[in-house]
Amino acid sequence: MLAAGCVGTTDEDNGDGGSADDDGSADDDGSSGDGGGDQYSIGMVDSLTGSLADFGERNQRGVELALEDVNAIGIDDRELDIIVEDSEGNGQGGVAAAQKLVNQNNVPFLIGAVGSGVSLSIYESVIQGTDVVQLSQNSTGLALSEFPDLLRMSPSGQSQSAALADIVTEDGYDEVAITYINDEFGESLTDAFTGFYDGEVAFERAHDGEQASYSGLLSDMNGSGADAWLFITYQEEFATQVNNMFESGYEAQLYGADSNRGNTVISNTPEGSINGMKVVEPSAPVEQDSFQEFSSRFEEEHGEEPTVWSAFAYDCVITAALSIKAADEFTGSALSEVVRDVTRPEGEEVFSYEAAYEILDNDGTPSDIDYQGVSGPIDFNEDGDPVGTLQVLEVQNHEYVPIEFREG
Amino acid sequence: MAVTEQFLELAANGLVYSSIIILGSIGLSLIYSIAGFANFAHGDTMTVGAYATLIAFGAVGGAGFSILGLPLGFFVALVIGIVVTAAVALVTERLVYKPLDIGSIGLLITSIGVAFIYRALIQVQFSSDSRRFDIDRLRPIEPLVEYGIRITKHDIAIVISAVTLVVGLHVLLQHTDLGRKMRATADNPDLARASGIRIRRVELWTWVLGAGLAGAGGAFLGLFNLLAPRMGFSELLVIFAAVILGGIGSVYGAMLGGLLIGMIVSMTPLLSTVGIPIGGEYAAALAFIVMVLVLLVRPEGIAGEPVGGG
Repeated sequence: MLAAGCVGTTDEDNGDGGSADDDGSADDDGSSGDGGGDQYSIGMVDSLTGSLADFGERNQRGVELALEDVNAIGIDDRELDIIVEDSEGNGQGGVAAAQKLVNQNNVPFLIGAVGSGVSLSIYESVIQGTDVVQLSQNSTGLALSEFPDLLRMSPSGQSQSAALADIVTEDGYDEVAITYINDEFGESLTDAFTGFYDGEVAFERAHDGEQASYSGLLSDMNGSGADAWLFITYQEEFATQVNNMFESGYEAQLYGADSNRGNTVISNTPEGSINGMKVVEPSAPVEQDSFQEFSSRFEEEHGEEPTVWSAFAYDCVITAALSIKAADEFTGSALSEVVRDVTRPEGEEVFSYEAAYEILDNDGTPSDIDYQGVSGPIDFNEDGDPVGTLQVLEVQNHEYVPIEFREG
Repeated sequence: MAVTEQFLELAANGLVYSSIIILGSIGLSLIYSIAGFANFAHGDTMTVGAYATLIAFGAVGGAGFSILGLPLGFFVALVIGIVVTAAVALVTERLVYKPLDIGSIGLLITSIGVAFIYRALIQVQFSSDSRRFDIDRLRPIEPLVEYGIRITKHDIAIVISAVTLVVGLHVLLQHTDLGRKMRATADNPDLARASGIRIRRVELWTWVLGAGLAGAGGAFLGLFNLLAPRMGFSELLVIFAAVILGGIGSVYGAMLGGLLIGMIVSMTPLLSTVGIPIGGEYAAALAFIVMVLVLLVRPEGIAGEPVGGG
């Protein structure tokens, strides 16, 4: 359809100009990619609009904090600049955004995207075959693990699906009805779930995003006879589904993945409509000092605690900045050689950009540092996936309450 | 679940959804027939109506008595929303469409741009987060549940309001001067002009009515589901299908098309129950296939003017 093919790209320049803290000395270390005289420019594809807009917004907040930290010190006397484009939460938008960043802005490093299908589309259509480094901030779909060069900051949904399967069984349900968003993310997590789950899948159906009503779907779920309903979908869709359930008088024990938990659901559904629902999501290392500091800064700035997604976005920026510092030159191939090593277990554990930069600045190599992010140890494995832990939350009094941690 | 029960449940839900689609499709058909181009900004016009109603409702408040679970303030806000939407459409028409002398395809593409502008302005103002009207959601109407019908008083309000607006439009078209002139202009603009009808006046009124109905549809869509900047755009495809199925240029065709498409989309899950292996997830595809089949048999749509005819 004509309109669907048209993509609006909004150019949001996230690199805050400010004053480049130049102490007068010559700052050019010879080779530079794009970015002009006083900036290193990298790209970011984020879901600023569409089904995943909640995540996009939280990501930008994490990115802002990260840029503050990076540009307080700079990278070899230059600032880090991030050119952000909107994926609109879908593959077409994401690919168009990535094309613009890679072909017009010539970025050697691309942070993107949120939706798993979007990240894959970008990788397959734009990045693969070039030497641009791609690092997804929020994608948890399983298929990303098949592409070792497609890095991600958020752990694979595989562990989430396994945990959900265990929890549903532990809660005593030997039958479950599942509905999932009709994309890579929904499909892959559901496949993994059904693989791990011992009981019977009484109902399984995909649904499209951004629909006005899901009454027919829910009516069929109700007809399946299962008392446990699993939703693997996004917040806006889930809010609609909850409202439909409420207005149809359906009740069930609800389960969900990381994608359908958040503020949009809480503020757009009636009190008590999802009480008792259990959700699994990647967890930040809440005991870690650097996370607690990140969290209080975030709360001070935005009046609410950060989600783990903001923490992922923060770490993407820091990782990119450290890679730029550690690399021989500002090109995709040079960056891809160091990007994993800056967070791998060899080297001294550092918990901030400042600490890591200091080591690198004193003739340190990437293997001399092991950046521990605010979202976890990172430690990209050979599939480009990080290490992660999971958190189980339960809805009590229309609020998400953490009830336990599980190993990822 | 018994087939009858499921049928009634899906039909009831379908009726509510169709009401919203019809409000969109009538407006689109009106504008198509008199302004002469497919207005791709029509979905986002619905979004404008929804947000305008939201602001108005925030100002008016929910005090006072309620009808079918909706405070009086909501209906007041709805009227304000309709007026604002009509105003926005008029301004757009004056500033954008009228000055451009580029034919219907050019205007169609222009309207795509207008759609982006509407959506972007709303997003700048309201952010892309979903939100809802500050009206409590209701439980299904008890006595109906045993028949399988699960609708709330709000749903009934939506259907009744849509019917009222549609009947009002019908009365206007058939029994008022303006309506007569609109029908004449849609039928044969040259003859209408020759017989003294001020075409420009009719055009403007068409925009007012078309956009007004869209605005109402948007407000109800926001009540039915949620408000988000892309809410209207998401329904545009279905609304277009309804207009084309019903026949471009026919308001009554648009009503019928809206009803049919809305019902097909809502009732597809019934097919699996009766043994036809088309799952509920193919609802939209099924609706469009039906549209294509109808067009194959009758290219002008159900109630449209024969293609190439007078």
